[in-house]
Amino acid sequence: MRKFSKGLISLVAVTSLLGVTACGGGGTSSEAGSTAGGEKPAAESAASGEAVSVNVGVVSILTGSGAGYGEAITNGLKLANKEITEQGKVKMNLLIEDSAGKQEQALSSAQKLMNSDNVSVIIGPTLSTEMNVVGPEADMNGVPIIGTSTTAQGIPQIGDYVFRNSIPESMAIPASIDAAVKAYDVKKVAIIYGNDDVFTKSGFDTMKAVAEEKGLEITTIEEFQKGQADYNAQLTKIKGTNPDLILASALYNEGAVIMSQARKMGITAPFVGGNGFNSPEVIKIAGDAAEGLIVATPWFGDKPDEKVQAFVEKYTAEYGKAPDQFAAQAYDALYVLADAIERAGSDDRDAIRDALAETKGFNGILGEMSFDEEGDIVMDPTVLTIKDGKFQLFQ
Amino acid sequence: MILEQLINGITLGSIYAIVALGYTLVFGVLDILNMAHGEIFMFGAFMGVLVTNTLKMPLIVAFLVAIGVTAILGFLLETLALRPLRGKKGVSHLAPLISTIGVSIFLENLAHHFFGAGNHPFRTSFSEMSFQIGSITIYAVQLVIFVIAVLLIVGLSFWLSKTKAGKALRACAESLEAASILGVNTKKMITTTVIIASVMGGIAGVLVGMAFNSVSPQMGLSMGLKGLAIIILGGMGNVKGAMAGGLILGLAETLVVVFGESGYRDAIAFALIIIILLVRPQGLFGKASEARR
Amino acid sequence: MLAELINPYYLQVLSFILINIILGVSIYITLSTGQLSLGHAGFMGIGAYTSAILTLDYHMPLVVGIVAGAVLAGIVGLCIGIPTLRLQGVYLAIATLGFGEVIRVLFVNLEGLTKGAVGISSIPHMGRELVKGLQDFGFKASMIGLKNNQLISLSVFLILLIITLLIIAFFIRQSNSRVGRAFAAIKMDERAAEAMGVNITYYKVLAFAQGAMVAGFAGALFAHVTAYISPADFSYHRAVEILIFAIFGGSEVIWGPIFGATFLTAMPEILREVNEYRYMIYGVLLVVMMAFRPQGLIDTQMIYKMKQRRKKKGVS
Repeated sequence: MRKFSKGLISLVAVTSLLGVTACGGGGTSSEAGSTAGGEKPAAESAASGEAVSVNVGVVSILTGSGAGYGEAITNGLKLANKEITEQGKVKMNLLIEDSAGKQEQALSSAQKLMNSDNVSVIIGPTLSTEMNVVGPEADMNGVPIIGTSTTAQGIPQIGDYVFRNSIPESMAIPASIDAAVKAYDVKKVAIIYGNDDVFTKSGFDTMKAVAEEKGLEITTIEEFQKGQADYNAQLTKIKGTNPDLILASALYNEGAVIMSQARKMGITAPFVGGNGFNSPEVIKIAGDAAEGLIVATPWFGDKPDEKVQAFVEKYTAEYGKAPDQFAAQAYDALYVLADAIERAGSDDRDAIRDALAETKGFNGILGEMSFDEEGDIVMDPTVLTIKDGKFQLFQ
Repeated sequence: MILEQLINGITLGSIYAIVALGYTLVFGVLDILNMAHGEIFMFGAFMGVLVTNTLKMPLIVAFLVAIGVTAILGFLLETLALRPLRGKKGVSHLAPLISTIGVSIFLENLAHHFFGAGNHPFRTSFSEMSFQIGSITIYAVQLVIFVIAVLLIVGLSFWLSKTKAGKALRACAESLEAASILGVNTKKMITTTVIIASVMGGIAGVLVGMAFNSVSPQMGLSMGLKGLAIIILGGMGNVKGAMAGGLILGLAETLVVVFGESGYRDAIAFALIIIILLVRPQGLFGKASEARR
Repeated sequence: MLAELINPYYLQVLSFILINIILGVSIYITLSTGQLSLGHAGFMGIGAYTSAILTLDYHMPLVVGIVAGAVLAGIVGLCIGIPTLRLQGVYLAIATLGFGEVIRVLFVNLEGLTKGAVGISSIPHMGRELVKGLQDFGFKASMIGLKNNQLISLSVFLILLIITLLIIAFFIRQSNSRVGRAFAAIKMDERAAEAMGVNITYYKVLAFAQGAMVAGFAGALFAHVTAYISPADFSYHRAVEILIFAIFGGSEVIWGPIFGATFLTAMPEILREVNEYRYMIYGVLLVVMMAFRPQGLIDTQMIYKMKQRRKKKGVS
């Protein structure tokens, strides 16, 4: 028994030692190469003409199956940061951590950024599931956190410190369904959605609510799961009920395939997609089958707007491919943050939070936006359709 | 509409059957459940995508490349993961299973690295062709898949029962030691078995690409688990059982969508696994003694 | 002075390590009778969802929720363990795999209860509840020189540490008792054990139920540490991860999964660059381990040698 308790005591001792040891924060990739770990840079007032210097933490999916989104987001952030630093009023030090799409890792990364690297604000994480875990922790720690891609319900409501600049499904979907119903004189809809993913399920809840609200007849509701390649069974059933419109809540991977298989099967009804469909990848994967898709989005890459075109040009020059919605929202988010930091005049977490909350009528590449009292974005989504192989405004 | 759904079910079932064949061969001869089979299937599918989309070569080449690559993967699997475990003393019978789980994780993430996580389109010229019989549309692809599945099953059965190599394989399945004493080169036989099984997976992969027009790294896991369900249903080590099991699962899944909740589609396979294992562990076509080892 | 030492980031990682240790122990228990279960993620999920629903919807105190979660998981384990008794090795593994997936699909589809794929958020957080309770008693973090969030992380860590130590202590005692010896006998040769009069039905089911209960317990703790759970948290990937803790660390002695869980959870934090290849490395590890050291890194021989060395040095 004594040997055993000795073993226990050493285990406790070792564990406590580990818990207390300070070790150099390793492996954080930092932008603009300044301090990583432990030290807060001196906060300087913008009034004195020198740039306000702030540590900004970024939690993004750099590895694993969501890495495509994470890459677009970090690219957008880096591009924005380069420009903002050149303007000289705000200097942000981006500390980027990988969450690999897993909540636990997102939480640990956020903890590292908040406590070891002492960031003043966090951008991210990428997925709504991650935000559900990280948001409450950031809010409790008094660190403002901005989601640029989390569109599920309930996110800004997590706390006063939680903001998001990505248009939620609850705002985008009614806009797209409205437009479709008017254009195609729709009476009957069928809905297909992925029931094992937060994002697609949340989108479906909104779709169903809107359809019911508008008095449309829902002919059938079909579900699919991740990893499924074959939607023929569900689509055949949909075809049999002859809807005027099909609402699909899916990520672009599955969505593009669903459209492709539907067209092959002879289904001619147009599709309305949720947020997940806003990607040029849809056109690439589905080809002609993507024609006629209707989707509401904050981002329209071909908008004849100076700022938008300048961004598209710069992004494509820097990264070799056109920016998608995620890159655009991240880019705008950093500009919104820089604006807030400038107004706050320091890197104090509460000052930045208050400045963010006061954001009204900010003009970014996505359009004009404000934050409402819950920290959610207020902006009019644009309804687009795919015509002739590209996204165009839906008339 | 029901008839169209039945055809859907049969097409799906045929693909499942081909995948199950791969599992059943390896289990029959080696007594090993190859959890990496699903991932090899996925690699086959990706080879198909690469050849038809990126290299823009005809479908036949896609099949050949898929067969080649999966054969190599099978060979590596056997040599690196399975053979080292065969001679050792005191290695539990779970070790090869765990080893193949390791290979499956490795392959799945390797695919993520090479191909990214998204879906890749798979377009062939004749995937658009279809015939109309009355009010039903049948696609050329569906017909081709069914025919290939039947050919493979018949061919395999023939090879196993009539050719010398096939008989040698069956001898190994009965007893490795006895076969070896009787002059069968068991080492070669085993490697051949794993390669053939992997090639089955590769062919099924290309077929899936053709049928459903898309391929993603996550396909491996889902197909792998379904394949497991099928061989349990049909009886491990039983070729006829694999075909029957595959068709049954394909039809069952499709009918669940038609008549019930499409949300439970995946659960069918797993529920079947549990029920069969509890009620009739040797499967529909298996022999009673096999399950209790 | 305390404030400078307590870093919530490290405490967070350590808390996850502790939960993984408990999970590693849970699969070790079932492995110790030679039963391989690929369904432990399902039991974990049962514990997590039960506790989350009880504490969130029915406002039960945390302790009740966590215990209920563990107990329910244990009961389900019992229900699964009995019919699967006659399944051997591979077949049992597949059956448990099937079970795990069925549970996950149930979580996804029983939306009224589990909110489906959206998951359950705002689950009462262990640390925050405790600190709130302390504040009601007049105890504030600033009294010992800490910030609120530091106290919260610290309390979570300490609670988990005590629980983990108790669990380890319990199972060490069990392995030295008659039960433990019965387990070992069954693992080595079931027929022989049966012939010697060991009631294999009782012990096998016991091990299975214990493993399920401990996994459920870990699941409930997990729910109250991350405050958000969804069906994707309890997938086949999780089951494999749990398996690796025991396979890599060692499946013969309890120190094995403890070491495995600690090492494999801490490594991605320490070597964040390696993280990108994490699962490929896991895969290779499994293959290599099976080929060269199937019993895992820490086995009975190593423990024995360590004890011998201690004896020689005269430490009693």
